[in-house]
Amino acid sequence: MSKHNPADIGGEPAGAIDTVDHGLKFWEKQANALRNTLTSGRIVRLDELRRAAEDLGLRYYRLDYFQRTTEALRNLLLEKGVFTRAELERKMDEVRERYDA
Amino acid sequence: MTPSAYAPALQRRFNVGDRVRVKAVHPPGHRRTPSYIRGKAGAIERVCGMFPNPEELAYGFDGEPKRVLYRVRFKQTDVWKSYSGPGGDWIELEIYEHWLDPA
Amino acid sequence: MTHEHAHPHPEDEGPPSEHEIMSRAMQELLEEKGLVTAEQVRRRMELFEQEFPQRGSRVVAHAWTDPAFRKRLLEDGKAACAEWGLDLEADRLIALENTPQVHNVVVCTLCSCYPRALLGMPPTWYKSENYRRRVVREPRAVLKEFGTVIPESVAIRVHDSNADMRYVVVPMRPAGTEGWTEAQLASILTRDTLVGVALPRA
Repeated sequence: MSKHNPADIGGEPAGAIDTVDHGLKFWEKQANALRNTLTSGRIVRLDELRRAAEDLGLRYYRLDYFQRTTEALRNLLLEKGVFTRAELERKMDEVRERYDA
Repeated sequence: MTPSAYAPALQRRFNVGDRVRVKAVHPPGHRRTPSYIRGKAGAIERVCGMFPNPEELAYGFDGEPKRVLYRVRFKQTDVWKSYSGPGGDWIELEIYEHWLDPA
Repeated sequence: MTHEHAHPHPEDEGPPSEHEIMSRAMQELLEEKGLVTAEQVRRRMELFEQEFPQRGSRVVAHAWTDPAFRKRLLEDGKAACAEWGLDLEADRLIALENTPQVHNVVVCTLCSCYPRALLGMPPTWYKSENYRRRVVREPRAVLKEFGTVIPESVAIRVHDSNADMRYVVVPMRPAGTEGWTEAQLASILTRDTLVGVALPRA
């Protein structure tokens, strides 16, 4: 049986669960709030975000939860033409410089 | 709209208690029916209502016409080849009508 | 134009990751394009931080003390919460009753669906791949990893929150809590008890 969806993992063998709650970093809380604001405002749908995460393919397994949701959001917004890759890269450079300053 | 966990589903194929089997198909694309339950047989536990089809919403369509969503209960011993727990354990999922056939 | 939200927060140590930069950059672009405002995002953060996390334990504590509310909660979680004054937004809540014969546990194997408007953000373990992989197939072994032992005489119902419904477990009220106030009862209804990996302790 071929598996198309990397998120479709129920029942797979796996190791111990880290049962400690590690909470969220500030940027993750903000990312979550952004995602929530976008879905409430119908700018994106939750179903689209889930699908965009699944479309990451094998990369899905190399990212942690917020890395995954961030890349999924980026890919979806690019897909929808909300911004271009060039715009995003420019803005990321700006943000990066502010941290270095 | 009065808040409710449920939405009406007057036109539907199945009722509570009906035996159903999840289709054993593996189409590409966004599906909310986990692989582990495909091909398994269980019983309708409750009718959740009619909702826009997530398989369409995922690609920017409006998901209409709405599909009937059910909660289906399965015996764990029917789902896993070597389930290590007692026979009385259950697993319950939400399955869309178009994924179900009578069992 | 100020970007107060883009400066490093004292909580976070070390340089920002690429994903943090990506996320902040996306938010700023969305603000510039008028699709979201910083205030909206800030307000959602507040709700998730302050409002949502305290609701679940209060709702279940109330169900423990008020049999009529409990019945309505079990019939239709969202409607009961609405009547009680809690707007669960998009969450279609189903409350699952633990009994001496049945123990309920919740997962979302496909992503991390969780009644966020009732419980706040899910714990990291709930979103972890290993929990999602294993709890559907070996719930008793998984619960043991959380220190929770369910005897074989009690049936376990695992609920995979895979579509439009959201779930909260109504644990059994432990002995030794007679006469407790709702606030005291709420204090033992931790998030883990409301997902089903722990039992409330008096």
